[in-house]
Amino acid sequence: MRATWIVFRKEVIEILRDRRTLIAIGLAAFATPIVLGVISQVSTKTATQAYAIGYTGDIPTGLGELLTATNLKLVPVIDPAAAAKQQVDLGVAFKAGEIDEYYDPTRQSAQIADIRLQTVLGQYNAAKAAAALQSKGVDPGILTPLHLLPHPLSSPVRAASNAFLSFFLPYILITMILTGGFSAALDSTAGERERKTLESLLLTPAPRSRVLLGKIAAVTTISLVAAVAAIGSMFVALTQISLPGPSESSHISLNPVAVPLMVWVALLVAVSFSAVTLALGTLAKSFRQGQAYVTPLYFITIFPASIVLFIPDFNPSLAYYLIPILNAVLVLRDAIVHDTVAWPALAVTSLSLLATGGLAWFVALRLFTREALLTRS
Amino acid sequence: MTEPAVSVERLEKTLGKNKVLRGISFQAQPGEIFGLLGPNGAGKTTTLRLISTLLSPDAGTVKVLGFDTRTAPEEVRRRVGVVTADIGVYPRLSARENIAYFAQLSGLDGRKLKARVEAVIERLDIDSFAGQRAESLSSGQKQKVAIARAIVHDPPLLMFDEPTSNLDVLASREVREFMVESKGRGKCVIFSTHVLHDAERLCDRITILHQGEVVASGSTAEVRGIRPELEDAFLELVGVQ
Repeated sequence: MRATWIVFRKEVIEILRDRRTLIAIGLAAFATPIVLGVISQVSTKTATQAYAIGYTGDIPTGLGELLTATNLKLVPVIDPAAAAKQQVDLGVAFKAGEIDEYYDPTRQSAQIADIRLQTVLGQYNAAKAAAALQSKGVDPGILTPLHLLPHPLSSPVRAASNAFLSFFLPYILITMILTGGFSAALDSTAGERERKTLESLLLTPAPRSRVLLGKIAAVTTISLVAAVAAIGSMFVALTQISLPGPSESSHISLNPVAVPLMVWVALLVAVSFSAVTLALGTLAKSFRQGQAYVTPLYFITIFPASIVLFIPDFNPSLAYYLIPILNAVLVLRDAIVHDTVAWPALAVTSLSLLATGGLAWFVALRLFTREALLTRS
Repeated sequence: MTEPAVSVERLEKTLGKNKVLRGISFQAQPGEIFGLLGPNGAGKTTTLRLISTLLSPDAGTVKVLGFDTRTAPEEVRRRVGVVTADIGVYPRLSARENIAYFAQLSGLDGRKLKARVEAVIERLDIDSFAGQRAESLSSGQKQKVAIARAIVHDPPLLMFDEPTSNLDVLASREVREFMVESKGRGKCVIFSTHVLHDAERLCDRITILHQGEVVASGSTAEVRGIRPELEDAFLELVGVQ
């Protein structure tokens, strides 16, 4: 294994002196907090933003105060339907015993204002009904014959935090593993051909399998460094910001079960990705051609993470855990959301990723040892 | 009789649809500069790649100091140093790091590694730029690094494939002087070139390849025969009058 260590050490030194890789890792470390900060600010702004309601007619007594208290600002207009198209977020016409509401469902601000208005009106109607009953000596409690007493089995704050992490963390982890090692993998394969060092390397007595193993180890290491930098900076950022949730202090934290699992899955994904990108890089004649080969991998990684985003309750059978990348995302999601490890799913995931890595390594080795590597121009 | 450094017997090789070598044979001895001449596409580089185990023969045999390239490729590579026309060095490593990397992959370590690296740095006069990153070196300096990494494990067989094609006059002369010096140390030097003037000055024996076949072989004087220049003989042999 001496040759593997020699190649590994040289590759790491070269990678660390490569501006492209350093920029990728730096971006990984800085981009995540920036993205989180923007998400936090947008979410907070959306939650506290005041929306304008254009109205005609007389405002029912007491309703104006309630609307103002929930950041719904009343603005007199001539035609509420016309005003609701652009001028205000919502239009209402107060009439005796009813309110006509006009809003454009394609506008997100209109949807939020509509929900707020309905909530306020619900409270207003209940209060009016209770007051009317009380004035006639009737217990207002008859309006709510069944009281719902919620008993959440876990902290709602924690649940909101987990839901956020279950999408964001696997996404960051996997994309950063890919982007972090991307340039390093191409540099050590297509780059060797491009700068004419490959022939000299293959002329050494070192077995090619060991040389390739050293390269995979180096790319894996850099990928993991990029992922750790991204996730580390993400958690630092999460301690500084809070996302809108059931309570004001909805800071996000990762449960202890997910941490070792994340490390294990990250290692498997990094090894597999390294072998795949090295195989693709070996096929390429130049760095640029290698980029064209590797770019589709981005889509392969984004797709599984998107499934978790768009179908949060996606509970697949064990067979789904055979699909590389999707399985990593699902295992991490399960650990983050449920605070437990689904051992059969983890076992299938580990086998799948190991098999993918092994297969990619085998392909890379075949490509690395073929004569066409040198003779194909 | 001493064992030949390189023994090539009825060697054949096809790359894609192109039959590059059609049963060539020759031997090169320790302590000589052996010229492998021929026009572009004659099969010189393919021959060197077969000798250095980068390619496998379709037919025939290649032996380096008794080791068959098919059955003992790693033993062969331990005994071969190759300098190519493409001066590929790792740009983000220093000249010294480039040399040390190849020395380590050739099996050197510890004090022996350091001693050998420093020895070739001194021998090739690399000291003044040994600490500089290769990306900042001139072509001549890079070629010196390429030679250093090829000889750092002290191989008995050195192969130079068009080593001066990208170099200026001064750097070319240094390469030629190095080949002569290596011959003096008992190394077998195989010099592949189409610069016939260089071959005539340096080579003890030559083999001329044309369209994958040996068209002439012998000492430089034998191949030249009665013609005034080796170039005249070469042009006649490859069918250009």
